[in-house]
Amino acid sequence: MELASSEYTSNTAYDELLGRDLHPRPVAQPLFAYLNSLDENELAARRQAVDATIMAMGITFTIYSESGNIDRVWPFDPIPRVMARSEWERIQAGLKQRLSALNLFINDLYNEQRIIKDGVFPAEVLEDSANFRPQCVGITPRFGVWAHICGTDLVRDRDGTVYVLEDNLRVPSGVSYMLENRQVMKRIFPEVFRTTNILPVDDYPTQLHRTLAALSPRPGDQPVIAVLTPGIYNSAYFEHSYLAQQMGAYLVEGSDLIVGSDDVVYMKSIAGLQRVDVIYRRVDDAFLDPEVFNPESVLGVRGLMRAWRSGNVGIANAPGAGVADDKVVYTFVPQIIRYYLNEDPILANVPSYLCMVEEQRDYVLANLDKLVVKPANESGGYGMIIGPRATPEERAQFAELIRANPRNYMAQPTLDISTAPTLVDGKLAPRHLDLRPFVLQSDQLYATTGGLTRVAMRQGSLVVNSSQGGGSKDTWIVEEEAL
Amino acid sequence: MLARAAGNLYWMARYLERAENTARLINSTTHVLLDLPLGASFGWANLIEIAGLDNLFQQNYPEANEEAIMRFLIEDTRNPSSILSCVQYARENTRTLREVLPAEMWERINSLYLYVRDNAAIACRSRRDRYMVLNNIIEQRHAIIGLIAGTMSHDIAYQVLKLGRNIERADMTTRILDLNSAVQFPQDSVLHEALMERIWMSTLNSLSAYQTYRRKISMHVRSDEVVAFLLCDLRFPRSVEHCLSEIEDCFKLMPKSQQLQQLAAQLRHRIEQSPTSGLSSVALHELLDLLQAELGEIHDVLTRQYFHAYLDDSQPTGTNQTEIEFAGQ
Repeated sequence: MELASSEYTSNTAYDELLGRDLHPRPVAQPLFAYLNSLDENELAARRQAVDATIMAMGITFTIYSESGNIDRVWPFDPIPRVMARSEWERIQAGLKQRLSALNLFINDLYNEQRIIKDGVFPAEVLEDSANFRPQCVGITPRFGVWAHICGTDLVRDRDGTVYVLEDNLRVPSGVSYMLENRQVMKRIFPEVFRTTNILPVDDYPTQLHRTLAALSPRPGDQPVIAVLTPGIYNSAYFEHSYLAQQMGAYLVEGSDLIVGSDDVVYMKSIAGLQRVDVIYRRVDDAFLDPEVFNPESVLGVRGLMRAWRSGNVGIANAPGAGVADDKVVYTFVPQIIRYYLNEDPILANVPSYLCMVEEQRDYVLANLDKLVVKPANESGGYGMIIGPRATPEERAQFAELIRANPRNYMAQPTLDISTAPTLVDGKLAPRHLDLRPFVLQSDQLYATTGGLTRVAMRQGSLVVNSSQGGGSKDTWIVEEEAL
Repeated sequence: MLARAAGNLYWMARYLERAENTARLINSTTHVLLDLPLGASFGWANLIEIAGLDNLFQQNYPEANEEAIMRFLIEDTRNPSSILSCVQYARENTRTLREVLPAEMWERINSLYLYVRDNAAIACRSRRDRYMVLNNIIEQRHAIIGLIAGTMSHDIAYQVLKLGRNIERADMTTRILDLNSAVQFPQDSVLHEALMERIWMSTLNSLSAYQTYRRKISMHVRSDEVVAFLLCDLRFPRSVEHCLSEIEDCFKLMPKSQQLQQLAAQLRHRIEQSPTSGLSSVALHELLDLLQAELGEIHDVLTRQYFHAYLDDSQPTGTNQTEIEFAGQ
């Protein structure tokens, strides 16, 4: 494989496309036959065309910085990540299983709490949960579903096992980039779609619309659906606007909505107030309704919780769904699946140590140089430590944080997460990546075909978050008969 | 349609129209300058005056020469009406409106913005570069109009776009007509009449109206007739009368628009009744001022009626609905 860079000789991780002998795996053979047919100049020209296309399509995300918010162009690597359909279908089944169990769990927590009474889930974890909303106790949303949209992060370890890294149940983002990545590939590499049978990804907006429409309190009518965004300065504003457009929904800010004395949500249209049936909110719980949560919030809508509790509006994800989006709760997911579904988990959890449990905490503190330690409620890769890469001082500081608030931390062994060939200076170099599929649930379950592959663009880096220099790739689920 | 979104859409349409009009005005003015005899002066500063931007310009530039004025009108983002500013605002507003516009719209406007951002400085380098860049801007704007015409449903959003475009356009036409009163000639020039004809020709050209005028009105370009044509011709898309009739049609399709329909009808009536021949340049200037004020009134009422209808119960958020009207208004 002449395109492979010399970095590959020292790559210890599992590579998604290249086997140990650096020959393409069967799923990637047509892709490599194609890549090898392009000469160096052609590949460089395509690379430039990709950048120009992303620029023209205005695919951006926003970074917060001290000197203001900067709109960054979405970093994209043109070499796709390829996975066989048979493998994907097993993952898909695992994702659906996981989300349906998590929804049963959330509904149980806000109602009978059978799982605690049965001694499967410790009451103290719930008591300390930052995302449990007492205001939601006693509510059962339609279908008993709280998390309608879930972004699940998957990684593959050295032996090829796929693990779930976390379940994002609050306001997961990234799906618009999954869709736009495919658009970019179709424009710049149209030929390659002839050589491989790549499953389409673009039914997601339709499925999302379906999922949301099922939450309408006025079934039968064409529901009015609104995407609630914190506004143009939010890092995911591009996505909010994109999804609203793709679904034919309204893109609204908190100030566009008003809850009447009839506990119905209306939007301020030029023809007067118009009823809203379903809100796909991309605003965190805390800012959703100043009447109930953070009273200072200007992003939310006063009275929204009243309207939701009265059953006059559907909200996705339901307020309080984040209780299951917690890295400590995460460690219980295998038990949660067995408890509610009486099934074995299809997807593996990464083995984890809970700092709240004394023996496990002692192990974590004694082995900080081997572990990754994560706070329970942060996202975006903030507030964590990668033990093997930290200095002794950093580890000592972090140990103090753990001792001060053990419930807030969990630890995992550092995985040698998989790589895929990524175009660096005209050669293919191994770069670590993860995969975020999106799973939907209301009256039905749905999982995307593939998901958003995020790749750490720096050599050796494990951080794939776009806010911290990560890029992305198109993700191909391919039909094997064609191979 | 959301009140806030409607406001952003209306302004987006105005910004794009303003950017195109500014580009046209600069190109046609450059063109006529080349034909003027030595000694005749057509101050570039007039372009800034008709836009009501003279104060802002003087605060930022020591001298009103061609180069400074071009930079101010094309690439200076301190000038909210510069081409770059307008395109940038239009893009920012479009970002908030993707769901009400044809899917390709965002990419078109984003590309226009990237083009202007990367080429505004080049346009200020020489007359030749300027002509090329401004022409490209006009062409890209036409592609956007074509996209709207060819793919957008004639819904409320479409009416709002059309309103923004036509109010801005009518206003600009009155300002371009006003431009010629500022031309000065050498006192003893016997060429006066021929020169004036050239200048009115340039006015028609800046509005792409020359050909229609010649076909419909006269081979000779006379000020009275040009004024009458650009104010009162119902069929020409850049005449004030035509814009008003478009505005009236939009209002008829908008909710709760009684008062606005009346205002537009009254203004049309006033234009039809105004004498346009034999006007002194002072009288013409006064008439144009009046028309601008009345267009401003329509803008104010529709803003209150539709975009700011809920200001009492919330703070406006979002992007560029700030009044960056021409300062003269």
